[in-house]
Amino acid sequence: MKTIHLVIDDKPILAPEGTNIFQAALDNSIYIPGLCYHPKLSQFGGCRLCMVEVTERRTGHRFACAHPVSEGMIVKVNTPKVIRYRKAVMEYLLAHHPLDCPTCDKAGECGLQDITHELNLFPGRFKAVRMNAPMIRDNPLLELNRNRCILCGRCVSACKEIEGVGAIDFQSRGIKTVIGTAFDRPLACSFCGGCVSVCPTGAWQDRTLGFKGRSWEFSKVPTICPYCSVGCTIILNTKTETVRRVTSDDYLGINEGNLCVKGRFGYEFIHSPERTKTPLIRKNGELSPTSWDDAIEYIAKKFRQIINEHGGTAIGGIGSEKCTNEDNYLFQKFCRSVLGTNTIDNIANIKSPALNGLIYESVIHGMTSASLKEIEHANTLFFIGADMTEAHPVAGSMARKAIRLNNANLIIANERGVQFNSIARNDIRLKYALGSQIILINALIKVIIDEKLVDLKKVETSTNNFDKLRSLIDKFNIEEASKITGVTQEAIRNAALLLTKSGNCYIICGKDIEENPLAEDAIRALMNLCALLNSVNRGDTGSGKVSFFFSRSHNNSQGVNDVGVVPGFFPGYVNTNDVSNKEKIEKLWGVKLPDAIFKKDAENVIDLALNGKLKALYIMGENLVVNYPNGKKIKEACKKIDFIVVQDTFMTETAQLADVVLPAATFAEKEGTFTNMGMTIQRLNKAIKPVGDAKPDWQIICSLAQKMGHSCSYVSTKEILAEIESISPVYAGINYDRLRRKEFHWASSVYNKNKSAKYTFSMVKPKSSEIRKNKDLPFVLLTGASLNHQGTFSRYSKSLISVAPECFVEINKKDAQVLQINNGDKVTIESAQNKLTLKAKVTHKLPERTVFVSEDYEWIPVNLLRERGYTPVKIYKEIG
Amino acid sequence: MISNQSENLQKKSIPQKPKIIVGTGTCGLGAGARAVLSSIEQELKKLKLQADVVQTGCIGMCVHEVLVDVVFPGRTRVTYGGVKPAMISQILEEHAGKGEAVKKYVLSQMYLDDKTVSPYDGIPFFDDLEMNRSQLKHILRNCGFINPDSIDEYIAREGYTALGKVLKTMTPTEVINEISKSGLRGRGGGGFPTGEKWASCARYSADEKFILCNADEGDPGAFMDRSLLEGDPHAVLEGMIIAGYAISATSGYIYVRAEYPLAVRRLKHTIEQAKERGFLGKNILDSSYCLNIYIKEGAGAFVCGESTALQYSIEGKRGMPRTRPPQSVEAGLWDKPTVLNNVETFANVPVIINKGAEWYSKIGTEKSKGTKIFSLTGKVKNPGLVEVPMGATIRQIVFDMGGGIPKKKKFKAVQIGGPSGGCLPESLLDFPIDYESLVGAGAMMGSGSFVVVDEATCMVDMARFFMNFCANESCGKCPPCRIGTTLMLDILTRITQGDGEESDLEILEQMSDEIKTMSLCGLGQSAPNPVKSTLRYFKDEYLAHIRDKTCPTATCAALHKYEVTPDKCTKCMACVRNCPVKAISGSTKEVAFINKEICIKCNLCYEKCNFMAIK
Repeated sequence: MKTIHLVIDDKPILAPEGTNIFQAALDNSIYIPGLCYHPKLSQFGGCRLCMVEVTERRTGHRFACAHPVSEGMIVKVNTPKVIRYRKAVMEYLLAHHPLDCPTCDKAGECGLQDITHELNLFPGRFKAVRMNAPMIRDNPLLELNRNRCILCGRCVSACKEIEGVGAIDFQSRGIKTVIGTAFDRPLACSFCGGCVSVCPTGAWQDRTLGFKGRSWEFSKVPTICPYCSVGCTIILNTKTETVRRVTSDDYLGINEGNLCVKGRFGYEFIHSPERTKTPLIRKNGELSPTSWDDAIEYIAKKFRQIINEHGGTAIGGIGSEKCTNEDNYLFQKFCRSVLGTNTIDNIANIKSPALNGLIYESVIHGMTSASLKEIEHANTLFFIGADMTEAHPVAGSMARKAIRLNNANLIIANERGVQFNSIARNDIRLKYALGSQIILINALIKVIIDEKLVDLKKVETSTNNFDKLRSLIDKFNIEEASKITGVTQEAIRNAALLLTKSGNCYIICGKDIEENPLAEDAIRALMNLCALLNSVNRGDTGSGKVSFFFSRSHNNSQGVNDVGVVPGFFPGYVNTNDVSNKEKIEKLWGVKLPDAIFKKDAENVIDLALNGKLKALYIMGENLVVNYPNGKKIKEACKKIDFIVVQDTFMTETAQLADVVLPAATFAEKEGTFTNMGMTIQRLNKAIKPVGDAKPDWQIICSLAQKMGHSCSYVSTKEILAEIESISPVYAGINYDRLRRKEFHWASSVYNKNKSAKYTFSMVKPKSSEIRKNKDLPFVLLTGASLNHQGTFSRYSKSLISVAPECFVEINKKDAQVLQINNGDKVTIESAQNKLTLKAKVTHKLPERTVFVSEDYEWIPVNLLRERGYTPVKIYKEIG
Repeated sequence: MISNQSENLQKKSIPQKPKIIVGTGTCGLGAGARAVLSSIEQELKKLKLQADVVQTGCIGMCVHEVLVDVVFPGRTRVTYGGVKPAMISQILEEHAGKGEAVKKYVLSQMYLDDKTVSPYDGIPFFDDLEMNRSQLKHILRNCGFINPDSIDEYIAREGYTALGKVLKTMTPTEVINEISKSGLRGRGGGGFPTGEKWASCARYSADEKFILCNADEGDPGAFMDRSLLEGDPHAVLEGMIIAGYAISATSGYIYVRAEYPLAVRRLKHTIEQAKERGFLGKNILDSSYCLNIYIKEGAGAFVCGESTALQYSIEGKRGMPRTRPPQSVEAGLWDKPTVLNNVETFANVPVIINKGAEWYSKIGTEKSKGTKIFSLTGKVKNPGLVEVPMGATIRQIVFDMGGGIPKKKKFKAVQIGGPSGGCLPESLLDFPIDYESLVGAGAMMGSGSFVVVDEATCMVDMARFFMNFCANESCGKCPPCRIGTTLMLDILTRITQGDGEESDLEILEQMSDEIKTMSLCGLGQSAPNPVKSTLRYFKDEYLAHIRDKTCPTATCAALHKYEVTPDKCTKCMACVRNCPVKAISGSTKEVAFINKEICIKCNLCYEKCNFMAIK
């Protein structure tokens, strides 16, 4: 792109061609007043305040946001004439805007206020023409005061362009023009709060703030959101050691100031009265408060006793998808070196056991090389089995940005209809039959090979086993594939054509693929596809890339695996059964590790418990009882374990079963790092003191280890991360201090070291998942993510509960008609294991003969119904 | 091929039996053309007469509607004005039956396309009528003459010959050059050179290009576009197809307001007919050029006449103007190169192609070429459509064609260009009308509404009316237009209510400048024009409102005294009869007296008094 030289206010500036004057000034810290222009939104040009004097061929007045820079342009921001006109417009605005700053939460960070000060405005020439419209409070989170609105249009653009919702738009004409919803219905949107964050005045307000402080009183601490695995940077606004609201910063983090409802409004759990604030010990069947010393003493004694009686392997550990890398690292180190057990695991690994190995493999082969933020540079997006809108909303916004700015192509393949709104010109939806994902992927591969959509010679030279793949694919019949998957041949072909277009192609593999029983085969097939696509001659310069993203559920689902809270790997995906690592690790940890740790094929923790081999279970930050995929099994298992220690922030279902409960600090009260689903490590910042007696998890582990006679004396998380850096090859090169400024992307650093690895095609037999439907249980239960809830935290956040108080069972329209089920009817789902009664929501998104229940409503124990794979269920209407 | 067709059709158009032509433009319908039409049909049956009954569009003499023309074979076409159903039987019996014109109802006569027919004695010719004498009807040549629903009649009058010529003998560049050479400028108001616009769009290549026709005529008092679409829709379509060819458009849209149901219906019919005859669609006239034209009905927002707002509206978005660059010719409708022209501009195109740029450029002034249609309304004797060459004076239009001011009142001003235009006073009566001079005088060409104002109109109140219109029609996007116009309206309202201050005038002038400079689109930029021009030419009226708290024309009800001037009162009792609250006493012998305690200041007495006796 050409670079333009121009001068703004006597300062020589370089700007890429096509930039507007406003952005060029902004990039060079030159202030031009303006209320409607926002760098992340499309240009609107409504506020008319950014008028500047521009000299190109001749001198004239231009509006900075609407005028592109040109070579040799001279811009003057503040000439007397410009200021006069600017003042006039401000005077008009203030004749209309109520001057209620003393009672407005926006005061202090209000664009209109700032410009009023900047222009030094005095009482104007006019009598006011105010609106006196009533405040609109039709939902629990956002309120709209139309009197304060200056109609800059930012919220309208943000809602449409970023969130893809378009819930609001302009209404009426003339002075009566207002922002509102269609037909003035109550706001029914995703409540991302984007409107609040872009609003330059106090028109849109965060109701959770509600006069709890003035903007200048808050100390603002940027940290990482504790919900999904996108890893947005949120800013905690604190005052007197309490978090009063969450805001975002357009220039911090990977999310460009975009958040979802959980990130922006789901912070209230931090100060929930239901937090566990003191350690609890079960005495006479009751959990009763105790001191830290007693609790630690008690646990140490118990653990020592079990080790002596049954050996360390009789103790299991469950790490947390919510805790930091440092917490989890110390946790596995504690289990392995102090307790001497390798019976450790985390839910992410339990749900999808093959994933860690596959992810690591794809990183080595450069197939997972992009960081999440790079989605916005995509030219083609392929979501397979992923529900971006519900599971990773902000990554969805990044995708929408790619679609808006690069005109990216979009392919969404899923077994159920998922919602994703965008303006993509090429938007292909492949709704494949349940369990037929591998056949669909193979069909895509077949089209690509048969029609030579990629450079096959290049594939042959850069990979192994290509001829085998070809012969396998030759036998594959695309007509039949189309029949099985229910996707037309034309659609498959169109998708293949889009995938092989030049530019960046990003494949986002969702939970529907990863948690399927055929996950490994499906992902291997996808990797084959990826290897093929890699040899498309990408872009004019060939610089485009293909990259995978694996969906992860929680904020640190990736990190917990990275630091080795899995039986199969030491930190950094070092195989546990590889004894050659023994010496190195022993030396680093300064202990002698028992041989049991280097055993191959470790048994599942819960299976061990069921067999009665597990005497104690140490659970850190995990509501195992609810989140373990098979609810029936876990309940039985817990009964068989003698001693359970739970370290968590709330009295979860699991904590209620525990013998000792240790109060842990939340993300807002501690330091550390999270790793997002794009392998990017980002740093937390402590915003407030721990609530009550709660402590950060790593400190609890340290004191426990010390009590058990091990030297475990870390002063800070910085030290722990340094140790992780030295032991884990994938985190090599990370620096805690540097993380403050820039996030660390481990996938690219690992790939750069291992560039020579040649991919070997794996032979994936095209097969479908078995679906065990029968006459009694004719429906299939599907589960998935929910936008409004996730984990324990959302449950204790008042606002999120008020937005989504209830979990629904979704059912196809046709089935609903047959069963005479209407929206809101009470419906019971019954599987072979258990049954559950929920309200029904009739939808057209689901395939027939399926029902969908979100698994993110923690208080709804969906796992009690489920078994591995597709669970057959029946549903019936509750009478009365 | 087309010219052959044209000759054949011309022969065919010479009637063998009487032909009765009824003006059923919106103006005719408003005056009762439908009733006239049905009574013609009844009477014909009753008289057992064979005659063709044809409908036609507006011929421009809206004041004389309903107009019925009768063509008796071998005789001239005779126009009857102000026809009522009761007059029909006589007209049909004598004229259609026996070929004798009913002179007491006759307005004029005219030759048909050939001059072989014999005229009637003692009937003035159409072109010699006071109203038509100085007009130059090139664009309106077919309006009121042909049946707009009949493509044959259009072809008979050289219709689609220009399209044929263009497709057969000219390259797109040649077409653009021809239009550039003619000096045609946009008739929508801005006056941008049409050729230049087409040329800059032709420079951009894209998979899709659009040609748009702006038929969203929203100015109060403007009806040229409607009359053209109702009277001669094929001419507009032909111009549009030629323009499409010139810029290689792939499809076109006509954005027409839904408030013009007749125009919409005619346009739909026109497009269908053109498609049937191969003037539209694939491979037009066996050339390789393809074009489809669609109709988009506007929902009635004034701002949708602005080019970018119009494009958004077609896209299904809210009609709000956007900033430029990029210009529409680069990225317009759906971000594709787009040319948008006004109805009248397109109607000019076939004429230019047929008669040549050189011929065309001889009409008009140095910088403004061709003719311009004005819709003459307000306080004139002959309101209607007039087409005059550029450079005609206001006096010609008002006094020659308009017939002057009725009720012996005095001419005061003329508002040219609707709410975005300006008010020109008596001193500028001999001012030539073209783009530049109008802007110089503080008005603008606008779409061509021409509202004449007599001495009984208060200029402050008129400025307030137009400001109210602009304030209501602002799309709300930018504060100068949204809030500024409201604030100006506020001040003007205060002045008309007697609460004005002298500093208000200064503020109004400042605001006029600020709103003009800071507004986003043409609507806002030109919204202060009526205030600015009235302030310029009628400042004393403002001062009278502010200083003396009187309205010199007694329009502003709040400032009225409602007193009878005894010297002027003729004791006609018009005021007494019309007073709704019986506040006026008086008789044929006694001067009227207004009881101010009962008076509700409804202003009816003032309006009804023909002698200006009430103030």
